[in-house]
Amino acid sequence: MSETTLNFGYSGSSAGAEELITYEDVLRARDRLKVLKSRAAKSSLRLLWLLAGPGVLVMLGENDGPSMVSYATTGATYGIGFFAPFILLTFLMAYVVQEMTVRLGAATHRGHAELIFQRFGPFWGYFAMGDLVFGNLLTLVTEFIAIQAGGLYFGVPAWASVTIGVTLVFGSLAFRRYATWERVLMGLAVFNLLFIPAALLAHPDGAALTHALATWGPLPGGFTTAFLTLVLANVGATVTPWMIFFQQSAVVDKGITRADVPQSRTDTAIGAILAAIAAIATLVAAAPLFAAKVDVTQFANGADFATALVPLIGSTGATLFALGILEAGLVAAMTISTSSSYALSETMSAAEKGPARHSLNLGFAHGRLFYGVAMGSTILAASVVLIPGAPLLAMTLTVNVIATLLMAPALLLLLLLANDTEIMGDLANGRWANLAGGTTVVAIAVVGALYGVITAFPNLLPK
Amino acid sequence: MAYDPALVSALEPDQLVAATKRPYSRRELTPGVLALMVVLRVFILIAIPIVIYAFVHALLTPQ
Repeated sequence: MSETTLNFGYSGSSAGAEELITYEDVLRARDRLKVLKSRAAKSSLRLLWLLAGPGVLVMLGENDGPSMVSYATTGATYGIGFFAPFILLTFLMAYVVQEMTVRLGAATHRGHAELIFQRFGPFWGYFAMGDLVFGNLLTLVTEFIAIQAGGLYFGVPAWASVTIGVTLVFGSLAFRRYATWERVLMGLAVFNLLFIPAALLAHPDGAALTHALATWGPLPGGFTTAFLTLVLANVGATVTPWMIFFQQSAVVDKGITRADVPQSRTDTAIGAILAAIAAIATLVAAAPLFAAKVDVTQFANGADFATALVPLIGSTGATLFALGILEAGLVAAMTISTSSSYALSETMSAAEKGPARHSLNLGFAHGRLFYGVAMGSTILAASVVLIPGAPLLAMTLTVNVIATLLMAPALLLLLLLANDTEIMGDLANGRWANLAGGTTVVAIAVVGALYGVITAFPNLLPK
Repeated sequence: MAYDPALVSALEPDQLVAATKRPYSRRELTPGVLALMVVLRVFILIAIPIVIYAFVHALLTPQ
């Protein structure tokens, strides 16, 4: 079937007017039909399977290259003591934030960038989009650093791993079908769990892990600036602006409705649990470096950790670790580039700057801007990684600063939208949602701002 | 065209691409929210130079 706008004289709009049916509508309707049949058959497991996706992808996508390096650094510097339960807490915060995007998408059928533009005006619309797309571009660079590092561990030249990475990102977009794209990425994202066998090969002490989870201790070295930086880095590794934009857009693209919110919440919770397990597994896998007193301060990427782990957890464990880093970079490159596509196209559409459509169900002819953004940013980021002497460290640092400093506006806008009863109706935040959401937003905003300042001015506090 | 137009009824009316093209109106902000937005703009005015400083500083620091 060709990608055309079809007029079937469908008269089911809320305004009662005749609607034009697009090919995008037809593809989404096919997916919805399966959901409706499953719901009618009261097949709850199949219903959950059909509606799962955005939550699992956003959570495992955020377990990206830099995040896994951050968890490994934490494990190698402090062991598992304080940080195992702390990581659980950060994923609980991530769930609280992401659950709001599920309700926003289901209630409005609009992406986050589109809603910000329409409800708060062009300044916030362009700012939120510009901040996100620029931050995502720099983050993509760090994902290709992870892909390159993972490849180098296996002796693959940098240019080859980066080229394979770009090809796979482009290949995922070539499906031109949201449902296929989502399932392929979910299949890839499962490999994030490779950190679990790597952790088991580190022969962790079960009693010590249980003690850590129950008591939040021990904390070797006490409360120092380095400790604070790692605490903040772990928060930054769990909740970031692209997640908000991505999940809301994916919820809309998937066609989630108000009736699907319970399953979408479960999808998000499952994603948070899986991602937390993978993150803690990374911490545990790297903990032998702490026991062996290996100095990891000069480690530049995940491959350095994998190489250092060989004598401690064996070559199988180290190989799993390196594969996990590769997967983390690849899946994040796919989700983050798509998040830029959604945000930019939604903003252009809201600003009425031409027919900017935004869906992974679009053909290339109708989605030139949408696919162009993902492909362009991917090529740009991959090229930067391959430039000899490119300031990669500067970019990695700036990514952290942008993501954390500018998390505060993103979260506040999210909270305001989730309280907007005019568009949310009965899915607007209630008292408890506001208490949990407000506390989380304030905590993350303060922590984020603090991290941004510490990263920008490392000599501000005594070591 | 090899599909049944009735298939589209599986979508809720507001989910249709045409329906989502109708923009929401601008939100009327209460004085409290308006004040919050002003604070946010000030925060951003402070944050952006920090981001630029961080990038330039990292560029000039030997790797």
